[in-house]
Amino acid sequence: MFQSFRHAATWVHTWFGLVLGFLLVVVFFFGSLSVFDREIDRWAIPASRFTPQPMPSFDKMLRPVFESIQPGKESLDKARTLVDGPLPTHWDHPDFWGAFTTHRDPVLDMSAAWDTPNARVPDSVMGRRTIDPRSGKTFPDDQLKIGSEFFYPLHYNLTLNYDLTPNGRDLGNWIVGFAGLVMLVALISGVAMHRKVFREFFTFRPGKNTQRSVLDLHNMTGVLALPFHFFFAFTGLLIFAGTYFPVTDTQLEPLHELHEKIEEQETGLPHDRAGVAAPLASVDPMVAEAQRRWAAKGMAGEVGALSLNHVGDANGYVSIYRAGTDRIASVSEGIHFKASTGHVLREDPPQTAVGGFADFLTGLHLQHFRHWPLRWFYVLGGLMGTTCIATGLIFFVEKRKKQHAKTSSQGRRVVDSLAVTTITGMLIATMSILIANRLLPEALPSGWPPRGSLEIYAFWTGWALAMLHAFVRSGPVALGKLNPAWREQCWVVAVMAVSAVLLNWITTGDTLLRTIGTGYWPVAGVDLSLLATATAAVFAAQKLRRKEAGAMEQGRSQPVVREAVNV
Amino acid sequence: MQTGAATHRSPVALAGRILLAVLGGYAFCWGVIALCAAGTFPLGAEFHDGETLGSILALLVYPAAFLWAFAARSLWRASAVLVGGGVLMAAAASLIQMCLT
Repeated sequence: MFQSFRHAATWVHTWFGLVLGFLLVVVFFFGSLSVFDREIDRWAIPASRFTPQPMPSFDKMLRPVFESIQPGKESLDKARTLVDGPLPTHWDHPDFWGAFTTHRDPVLDMSAAWDTPNARVPDSVMGRRTIDPRSGKTFPDDQLKIGSEFFYPLHYNLTLNYDLTPNGRDLGNWIVGFAGLVMLVALISGVAMHRKVFREFFTFRPGKNTQRSVLDLHNMTGVLALPFHFFFAFTGLLIFAGTYFPVTDTQLEPLHELHEKIEEQETGLPHDRAGVAAPLASVDPMVAEAQRRWAAKGMAGEVGALSLNHVGDANGYVSIYRAGTDRIASVSEGIHFKASTGHVLREDPPQTAVGGFADFLTGLHLQHFRHWPLRWFYVLGGLMGTTCIATGLIFFVEKRKKQHAKTSSQGRRVVDSLAVTTITGMLIATMSILIANRLLPEALPSGWPPRGSLEIYAFWTGWALAMLHAFVRSGPVALGKLNPAWREQCWVVAVMAVSAVLLNWITTGDTLLRTIGTGYWPVAGVDLSLLATATAAVFAAQKLRRKEAGAMEQGRSQPVVREAVNV
Repeated sequence: MQTGAATHRSPVALAGRILLAVLGGYAFCWGVIALCAAGTFPLGAEFHDGETLGSILALLVYPAAFLWAFAARSLWRASAVLVGGGVLMAAAASLIQMCLT
């Protein structure tokens, strides 16, 4: 069908890149922000602006909190679709408790899970709680951790939590997964379609026409960070491989169950409840024992995760995992204790070669370890990826501006408007949620939607308005000119970014002088990044104004085109 | 260079290539993962290690298969390899599973 592999590669790169490119910009950009998700959380929840804390005492602090957790509303809504009768009004006897923390978390995330009673397919309901580990005080449920609970899931599932497969709540996962596959395809085909990749890598013609310099920037950001882009698209897919290819939950389910039975015999960790109630022994000595064993192996460390399976049952066991602060893998070195007695059931053996390799790949993507320069390098790589895809979209429009200027193609207008929506519109949406977060009162009047939901509405409303604006102003594109929405939205971004910094100051008293002075970098970093964004946006707006003025000059010398404007 | 090739491209042929790239590639990768998970099990490998190894291979194979679906001369031969290969590998995995369980 195509004359050569290069022709096929070019077609695939152009059209799949165009269709999925808009999505990939979003995935790369919010992935870049997710590198500092915990820090954005601090900015958004001023009461959590204190230094990271270690895992607190289970017996004194965590246990009473765990015992008070009830399922969340969303989880109950889902359970209702799986159960014919009414759901319990009070949920006792949870099956699972878990707490997870990293070296960047001042607050502690806790969760509990229950087997859904009388469900048509086996399922569980979840409840969550965030506490201040210094006092045990609970944070209000309706406070949204904008970084880790919104930008981060947006990065891998677009917050589209609808059931697509029996695995559940994964529609967005599948869409982003397809975009990730297309990213890999676009990288390979992008190299294949250029015969002179090496020479083009050293070519940058910023002074030339827009089309040329956009293409050069596309090639440079694509080739320079090619290993980065490939690695992140690949490992991102690998993290969710079990969702995309549920082989062992479907076709190989019988083999999977056989494996779990053998595993249960080997590890001594019960797969199911015994159905016999049993009390819970003191957990703090188990934590001390785990830490003693890690220290004895020459890898003393903090607790990263603590979980209790089959809570209140004779088969219950406590698992304690070492925080991966100084390791690539998020958590490791699990030690498991019998919940009723505190005896060690099992110490995880050294990892297999394949397991260790996979943990290394996904651990590098998730980056829970401590390495601040690398963390910033990730942001840089992510923003280069965003730039690469965004310039690809702009190049698509620029190239066709010349080809079809006379035929007044509406398609080009649509693509350009979508590019504005995706690029500057995405920044406006981001600023909208931050500004809403600072403008909404701490406690909302009763009857209002949860605070976090309102912030999310502000995000999508900001984005929708940016889209509307981009389409309304897109007229000049049909005439081969710049859409003024690019410039106007750059100004909006700049004003909003500065406003967010000022609002943070007014509502919390945390000026940059104070946050930098006391060395509280999570909040100082967000403020500084906002100011850097504003500066870049002003610079871009001025550059665009000069470009538009230049195009106008040309227009004056071409009366035919001017007539077309009036039509 | 694009316009020259465009004349040979019917929407139906293009749709066939797109379907083959997405679904054929998926079928082939499913087979790779199933065969790796089931095939390494009797060799004493940890079950999830086999699955993970299969996933790593599959995710490297998928983009290559995707591009090949467009570049291949014959749509039918490419379909036979991707879909047929996927079905064969998945069937082999089920056969191994039947012997073990």
